[in-house]
Amino acid sequence: MNAVASVWELAQRNVRQSGIVVAFVVICGLFTFLNSNFLSPGNLTNLVLQYSYILILAIGMMIVIIGGHIDLSVGSLVALTGAVAAVVVIRHGQPWWVGVLAALGVGLLVGAWQGFWVAVVGIPAFIVTLAGMLMFRGLTYQVLNNVSLSPFGGTYYQINNGFLNGLLGGQGFDVFTLVVFGIGVAGYAFSQWRRRQGRIAYNQVVESLPLFVVRLVLVAAVVMAFGWQLSQSRGLPVVLVILAVLVLVYAVLTQSTVFGRHVYAIGGNLNAARLSGVRVRFVNFWIMVNMGLLAAVAGVIYSSRTNGAQPGAGNMFELDAIAACFIGGAAVSGGVGRITGAIVGGLIMAVMSNGMQLMGVPTSTQQVVKGLVLLVAVGFDVYSKRRGSATV
Amino acid sequence: MTDTPMHAGTTALHDLGPAPVADDARTPVLSVLGVSKRFGAVEALVECSLDLYAGEVVALVGDNAAGKSTLAKVIAGVLQPDAGYLEIDGQPVSLPGPGAARQHGIAAVFQDLGVCDNLDVTANVFLGQERTHRGLLDQGGMERVSREVLSMIGANVPSLRTPVGRLSGGQRQGVAIARTMLGEPRVVVLDEPMASLGVVQTAEVLTHLDRLRSLGMAVLVIGHNLNDLRAVADRIEVLRHGRNNGSFDGPTSRNDEIIGAITGAWRQ
Repeated sequence: MNAVASVWELAQRNVRQSGIVVAFVVICGLFTFLNSNFLSPGNLTNLVLQYSYILILAIGMMIVIIGGHIDLSVGSLVALTGAVAAVVVIRHGQPWWVGVLAALGVGLLVGAWQGFWVAVVGIPAFIVTLAGMLMFRGLTYQVLNNVSLSPFGGTYYQINNGFLNGLLGGQGFDVFTLVVFGIGVAGYAFSQWRRRQGRIAYNQVVESLPLFVVRLVLVAAVVMAFGWQLSQSRGLPVVLVILAVLVLVYAVLTQSTVFGRHVYAIGGNLNAARLSGVRVRFVNFWIMVNMGLLAAVAGVIYSSRTNGAQPGAGNMFELDAIAACFIGGAAVSGGVGRITGAIVGGLIMAVMSNGMQLMGVPTSTQQVVKGLVLLVAVGFDVYSKRRGSATV
Repeated sequence: MTDTPMHAGTTALHDLGPAPVADDARTPVLSVLGVSKRFGAVEALVECSLDLYAGEVVALVGDNAAGKSTLAKVIAGVLQPDAGYLEIDGQPVSLPGPGAARQHGIAAVFQDLGVCDNLDVTANVFLGQERTHRGLLDQGGMERVSREVLSMIGANVPSLRTPVGRLSGGQRQGVAIARTMLGEPRVVVLDEPMASLGVVQTAEVLTHLDRLRSLGMAVLVIGHNLNDLRAVADRIEVLRHGRNNGSFDGPTSRNDEIIGAITGAWRQ
């Protein structure tokens, strides 16, 4: 009774999703070919540190976009939350965790503020967050009295720049990093296996066993190679652990909880959701609160990375996050997209920026190229939808 | 429900079997009593009344803007009446929202608005009443119950994992009607389920209605095509300018009588 899908069938069914992964691999391959340093331990580590906050923003933004909204204020909010943390830690000499809590608190508060206007008053998120973009930027200047604050130093600085290293020793490489990656790969393989067993139990289409194993081995090889490179540099970046936890939590939230299901429903057909008894206001409110919280996390990480707060920090971050989501398979009309898509989309942006920087491409050219990639990605989406392919 | 979702699902469905007919023959499952509803200066419903009995299909007809959809929305708890009230089993109830209506056993399918194209069949069937297991969606249990309810109403879908946007019009209505079967409904309201459907797909929907009746539910179906409706309706109620304007026996009444009532050539 179990139908076994061929490779071609599977690729077609998820043409958008697999297309993105293929594009990512091609881009990585291209930069490896053009620059031998691209896959070096140092550069891979740098890549993680440099773009983690965009990936975190993209997670929240993906949920916002699936719900049929948009958030233009996250760049300003990154600056504001970083500024609050800086004032608390640097100006008032509080411990690092007080600064982090203050930043997260401000993020939640701002999220609730925007959620109120979007969900209760009913103003489109585009307008509410456009207003927020201006307001929070202004507030950042006021909080900082128009000057930069630095340095954080100490533990706060380690949030983005710290490494888990040397816990288990190793000659020229960090065993602990490899162990963590190994556990991650094993967990991934186990969850995929369980999912496959579940599908078989419900008589659903699955890929053939050899194909399944090949896919697992490929993923494991790539991930372990990445871990090996990291372990040869400075070990496991703290921020990578934070990012991994967030990706796991939000993948479960969107795919396996009632809240996540309702976000998709609201983005897919607002009226149907409302008539079905989905609490639209409740869901919209918490979508915005969640975005505020994740923007605060990104704000903490960004201020930690720069070891201080600047009034102009986070400028245009919202556009990077939005681009990551659309490259990663979100639909402009809402209702479609995945957290993993946002991450892959964000990684494509990150790899392109990093790769072009290594090659010494001028910033102006980089922006043109990134703009074109966004256009092509969404164009491909529109084209495949017109042909009636699946996009979910 | 957490341990045996399958069992819970089937029990719920079997409880729906033909209700104790002796009592229900006299007490309507649902009564609409003198309900009025205004939208600004427009009187959508004026002292409108309607009784629905178990195991009966009632067709609600009328010209455009006669108040049919408004009445359906009042019954489904989407709109609240300005005057008048509803009774369930002879007891007055107030329905502040669709959730409250569903708790009273009233389920509704609305015209073109019932399904989310981006979600799969199971997600649509359970939208707004998802089952959970340890805080997470009980995907497997929901799929089993979906398969059951779809076969109960005689609907055929290729796969439960198909996004509803890729189904035909008739299959989409099947999914929308299957939605109503959860949570022990006793009254099912369908607003224009046959709108913009082809001949075969219309026949499909009529089969679904017939199945609902044989499960002992009170069915209110809104439509335009008298021939289609008379094929399945026990009783035909006419609305005109938001008022009751005639009640006809489904199988024996003549089309010209009903059309007279719809157009106002004949008055109650």
